[in-house]
Amino acid sequence: MSLPPEPEIERILFTEEEIERRIREVAAEISERYRNRDLKLVAVLKGAVFFFTALARAIRIPVKVDFLSISSFSTRPSAPGVVRIAKDLDESIEGEDVLLVEDIVDTGFTARYLLQTLAARGPNSLAVCTLLDRTSRRIVQVPVEFRCFEIPDRFVVGFGLDYKQLYRNLSFIAVMKPEPTQPIEWRS
Amino acid sequence: MGLITVSGAPGSRHEEAARLIAQRLGFELVTQIRLDALIGEEFGAGAQIPEKAFPEVITSIIARLASEHHLVVSAEGAELLFKEFPGLLRVHVVAPESRRLGVLMLERRLERPAAKELLRRLEGEQKLYRRRRFGRALMRPEAFDLVCNTEALEPEQVAEVVAAAAQARGVAEQGLLSAAAEAHLQFQVRLRLSRYGIAPLDKLNWRPRAFSHPSEEIFANLLDFYRVAWEYEPRSFPIQWDKEGRVLESFTPDFYLPQFDLYVELTTMKQSLVTKKNRKIKLLRQIYPQINIQVFYQKDFENLIFKYGLSRPAAVRPRRPAAPAEPAGERPPSGEA
Repeated sequence: MSLPPEPEIERILFTEEEIERRIREVAAEISERYRNRDLKLVAVLKGAVFFFTALARAIRIPVKVDFLSISSFSTRPSAPGVVRIAKDLDESIEGEDVLLVEDIVDTGFTARYLLQTLAARGPNSLAVCTLLDRTSRRIVQVPVEFRCFEIPDRFVVGFGLDYKQLYRNLSFIAVMKPEPTQPIEWRS
Repeated sequence: MGLITVSGAPGSRHEEAARLIAQRLGFELVTQIRLDALIGEEFGAGAQIPEKAFPEVITSIIARLASEHHLVVSAEGAELLFKEFPGLLRVHVVAPESRRLGVLMLERRLERPAAKELLRRLEGEQKLYRRRRFGRALMRPEAFDLVCNTEALEPEQVAEVVAAAAQARGVAEQGLLSAAAEAHLQFQVRLRLSRYGIAPLDKLNWRPRAFSHPSEEIFANLLDFYRVAWEYEPRSFPIQWDKEGRVLESFTPDFYLPQFDLYVELTTMKQSLVTKKNRKIKLLRQIYPQINIQVFYQKDFENLIFKYGLSRPAAVRPRRPAAPAEPAGERPPSGEA
């Protein structure tokens, strides 16, 4: 595949074919693990939606689906606010086997918050499936049961992941060029 | 003085509620870890303090801090002190065992049976600690002004309720502890401590949370956003001594995350200086193998900046209380943080 035309993109990390193949493999693992169980897939809006739909279609057992989203981090240094559920699940998850579907897990902050929130609602089991896992940036350890790809410490877009809300609709995953912004005043 | 004590059973998420209350009201947070560090500072590291002297020791520390700040204290037994003060609000956080088990399962990455065992152990330790130091193992509801259940209320909602109660009670309107009142209190405390042969070093100084680098403030804000409890530079680790055993060099990690027993060092410095820092961290890991430390390098931090679209922060300044949360919106670009 040739380099995409977008000037901010450096290179393709995973092609559409590689992503599809890997999703089928992970979906087979999930189908096996949750056979004869009451599986609900929970997607975290918006980034996970592209992965979520591809994964759900590749899973070979009946599943329920639901969605949630969380608030954003304020860039105002004096007012970071706190994370909260911006769009909650439509239905209860009590007694269900819940699989939280993420686009990417890196520091683990978001996944931990969501797991903590969902765990308090009495599911039978709770697990994480992520398209991308950036373990090199992990600060908070979270249990990731299913992962499609482990990625290097670079900023990536595509297949749901965005930069300033753009590039979500790329069918592949690409590495962004480093942003030529004003540097931070580094410690000397 | 405005003093809000927040206690709770293991796994009730009372520490998280305490941090959110402090953030919401702009009060200073004193956690058990912070309190222990301050006790070491004031009475000498490794000082042999009899269990029964702890109420006086804690009173001395809290009184000193309360002369400069309104406080949220999340430390065992704090609700039993300062009973006569008008600005006191005693909060207790409860949760059903199933909820508390769920919290421990996630935080400690345990299966349910192991979490149950841990919960029993932590509850036993808490009772023992309270009995030895405060003469009471149980926390009776009438010892508190407000009891919140995190089965129904998220820690953030607990913080809202407590903030409303603090306002209704006029906690902050009481003003800070006056110098005269503090001196009187310290005199009484010292008199009682003298029975145990303990004399404070009078070294305690409240250090405002002024970050030494803008990146640290950004990181602290990010931790606040994700409700991750943190301490800023709470402990220095000696890493080099001379022949007489005097400390030649120490290393102070930037952050400590008590929930994860993890130190975090931000190394947002020029590459030429990273080698020196890496040597220190390597030494730290050799000398203190039990310490978990994660290093965040310049590239990691640049990516974080890139992800959140954060601009170059303003000049370094002492930390200010956070304003109310932003309206709900989207997650940060590129999903998970």
